[in-house]
Amino acid sequence: MSATPSNPAPETVAQLPFDLKPGEAWEPLPDAEFDAPAARHLLRRAGWTAKPPEVDRLLKDGLAASLDRLFPSKAPPFPAPRSLATLEAKTAGLQAQLVANRAGGAGVAAASSAAAANPQEIQQRQIRNQINVATNQAEQDLTVHWLEFAGRPENAVTEKWTLFLSDIFVVSQEKVKNPALILAHQDLLRTGGFGSAPTLAKAVSRSPAMVMYLDLQQSLRTAPNENFARELFELFLLGEGNYTEQDIKESARAFTGYRQNGGVFRFAPGQHDPTPKTIFGRTGSFAGDDVIDLAYAQPAAGRYMAHKLARFYLTDDPLPKEQLAALGDWWRTTANYDLRRVAQRFFGSRLFFDPAFRGAYIKSPVQYLLGLVEDLNLDVAPIPRRTIAPLRLMDQIPFRPPNVRGWVGGRNWINSGTLAARRQAVETLFAPLIEANLNADEIAALDEARAEGRTHFNFTPDRLAELADLPPDTAANWLIDALLPMPVDAAYHASVRDFLAEDLPANNAPGARRGGANLAAAGPDQRRLQRLRNTIITLLQSPEYQLC
Amino acid sequence: MNTPFTTLPVTRREFLRWGGRGVGLLAFSRFAPSFLVESALAATQAPEKDRSILVLVQLAGGNDGLNTVIPYEDANYYRLRPTLGIPKAQVVPVTDTLGFNPGCAAMASLFKEGRLGIVQNVGYPNPNHSHFRSTEIWETASDSNASLATGWVGRYLDNACAGQPASSTDDPVAIHSTGETPQSFAAASAHPTFGLGLGAAAGNQRQQRENLALLRQLSQQDHHDENPNASFLKATLMDALVTEQKVQTVLGAYKPGSTYPASPFANSLRSVAALIASGLPTRVYFVQLGGFDNHQNQLNTHINNLRTLSEALAAFQLDLAAKKLDGQVLTMTFSEFGRRPSENASRGTDHGTAAPLFVMGSKLKGTLFGTSPVLANLPKNQDITYSTDFRQIYATVLDRWLNSPADKILGQAYPSLGFI
Repeated sequence: MSATPSNPAPETVAQLPFDLKPGEAWEPLPDAEFDAPAARHLLRRAGWTAKPPEVDRLLKDGLAASLDRLFPSKAPPFPAPRSLATLEAKTAGLQAQLVANRAGGAGVAAASSAAAANPQEIQQRQIRNQINVATNQAEQDLTVHWLEFAGRPENAVTEKWTLFLSDIFVVSQEKVKNPALILAHQDLLRTGGFGSAPTLAKAVSRSPAMVMYLDLQQSLRTAPNENFARELFELFLLGEGNYTEQDIKESARAFTGYRQNGGVFRFAPGQHDPTPKTIFGRTGSFAGDDVIDLAYAQPAAGRYMAHKLARFYLTDDPLPKEQLAALGDWWRTTANYDLRRVAQRFFGSRLFFDPAFRGAYIKSPVQYLLGLVEDLNLDVAPIPRRTIAPLRLMDQIPFRPPNVRGWVGGRNWINSGTLAARRQAVETLFAPLIEANLNADEIAALDEARAEGRTHFNFTPDRLAELADLPPDTAANWLIDALLPMPVDAAYHASVRDFLAEDLPANNAPGARRGGANLAAAGPDQRRLQRLRNTIITLLQSPEYQLC
Repeated sequence: MNTPFTTLPVTRREFLRWGGRGVGLLAFSRFAPSFLVESALAATQAPEKDRSILVLVQLAGGNDGLNTVIPYEDANYYRLRPTLGIPKAQVVPVTDTLGFNPGCAAMASLFKEGRLGIVQNVGYPNPNHSHFRSTEIWETASDSNASLATGWVGRYLDNACAGQPASSTDDPVAIHSTGETPQSFAAASAHPTFGLGLGAAAGNQRQQRENLALLRQLSQQDHHDENPNASFLKATLMDALVTEQKVQTVLGAYKPGSTYPASPFANSLRSVAALIASGLPTRVYFVQLGGFDNHQNQLNTHINNLRTLSEALAAFQLDLAAKKLDGQVLTMTFSEFGRRPSENASRGTDHGTAAPLFVMGSKLKGTLFGTSPVLANLPKNQDITYSTDFRQIYATVLDRWLNSPADKILGQAYPSLGFI
């Protein structure tokens, strides 16, 4: 950019909080600059949060080795929940029954009229209802299990990367209505997420969920459906302005014949249009894969990924074109569109670590929830009411992005309602889990999770033991450092310290108190623990904790 | 208690001072609270005196309708409930054939006085037996096989507040005490809503006040080189804390006109009464009583739970009457489903379908609506079939109580019932 310190144009300065030149912006951060705040920044942006032991580990290993570990060549596999495996067996029989009944003459009368239904129609409705129930339960199960898997610290970075890719290659359960296909789609992003981007995009075009979601299934040789071709260029690979309407029309013809049948991709040669097409100025009898290769031959493909990375992981404000071009062109020409390499370049760069970005990004609801669970050393409760419901109120339901553009994020996450929902999410984790108030399904799910060794679903006071022995000043420092993504001023620190110290009688000074944190002991100890606990609650509800 | 909010400019003044320090609040003009932009309007805002208010009471877990409103002359009832059936002698009769569970004595009195109505056998086509899904159906007023993103109260708010963009500093239009915002409130546009449960994790009331004070204090600290998102978050949170401060003050100062029993549920109704009495323009309140999922040893658990419900409702109604607010308030219960007519082998009941629900208020036109469920010839473990669609009740409330176009909000026309 042309802005120099001697000639500051205000609007340019606002857009450019850093003064790195495109050439140096994506160079690795010098080792000497990789300190604890930098390590925390990396962990909070690449994963859900920055736990002190993990920060220490990063500093010990160094940046390059850490990136190598955090972004492996393959993400750990996500074991599919059992209910998904049985879903198909369960619904296949019901579907067959529906079809058989229909052939037998059961009407397709208006589903909503309760009265005047003939017995066959009632039976059909009951079958459809059973399919819906099984599907909804399998989706819930998938969501809860994924949150539990993604919330384990060792999976945080790879699962956030999977979430990032699924926020590009969007499908939604809302339309697909088949959690097994939604999972298969996510799995394809997970397993191919650190490989070649063109290979991944080709797999996506064959993903049965995608074939359904963007109507490839309905695309006919005589009437190509343009939905997939349009989003492929506009939202998945190139971005608006980098293709023509003609490119879309011709590409739609290349993707004719893509079908899915019972959750398996099929190519239907009879529906494919093999005649020559002209795309991005080149003419040939292109098929779907050729279109993806042609798109990746455009410099825009590299730059668009740079833009998506910056938008999802770094900043709401678009980075300058020159910076995006520098990363995108490097990825295209030097790294051969290898996703792992672009991730490591991005997260290791001087630009990524620039102080202007530290603590300035609003956490998504998924990150907020999983970060809380990780920060408090808890397990994700296998109960929709305590996981899916809070996320819905915060405005992000996994596997159900609002539309093909994915989640907009940034300040759109925050309004009075969603902020209250975030504060409530914190309180839910601190409230006792009263089993008398749970329904039988929830208790069964809890028992199952406990049998698998996950037992801590809510914060218990014994976790405060170590902190309880620290003087208020030290405890305040420790909590602020561990939880908040930015340094705070002295007055802020003083507020926290004074709150912690207020109930501390002189004769119970730190060091002089009895060992351990026995809440059963009445009196000052308990009050002190209560203060500590309430300080943590408040910090987790603070505006600063919404940021990363 | 006439003008409870005039004593509370403290937070707002602090807030203005904070904004005036140049932290950048006013730079976010689209987030600037209305009282900063239109202070004259905010100052003249008067509570509506004759507005109608709806209080929703969710009986979470699936209330056993048959043991709540008991067909004590029906041999089929006792056939299906060999151990759980309430003996005729213990039933509190209110008609020749129907009586209340012994836990519902206070509700039976209200019924006899014409202030509590029973709508019998309420459900919907294609019933779903999942708690999560059936609750969603009730809260969104969707068909069983459809999924709606917004709740029925939310759509009412969308409709009622159309053309009046909500500001986050406006008083809440809907308030709940359920921890999580009920799905009923989910709306297409943003409306100021408020959760009474927020803050409870801090402990007792004093600790809650202290935590709120700390949160307010932290939200007012600015940082060196503060980023715009931090300023934005602080401004949004401060707006919310203004409402919270108001509510805490109202609740702390409230002198109820009746004695509420000591239960968290009664306490939440007491809070609702306090907020109504304070003149808040809130139109919908949502409270919850859980513990109805009685798969085993149901009998006494259920009686006790109904007693909690019944006594709290009666205290609430008495309080409203003492404050001469009873004409303004309609209370209505709902539950995701009723339970299976035949008891299970654990002396409990499994998830069922239709059940009665209750409406309460001094403006009721009648006390018994709909028809009783048919138990004759009902085989073991079979569900009853509903006779009144729950959306008919919503339609009645929307049309006749909240003066809103029910068919628009519910997506189609449902025949009204005559309870108001």
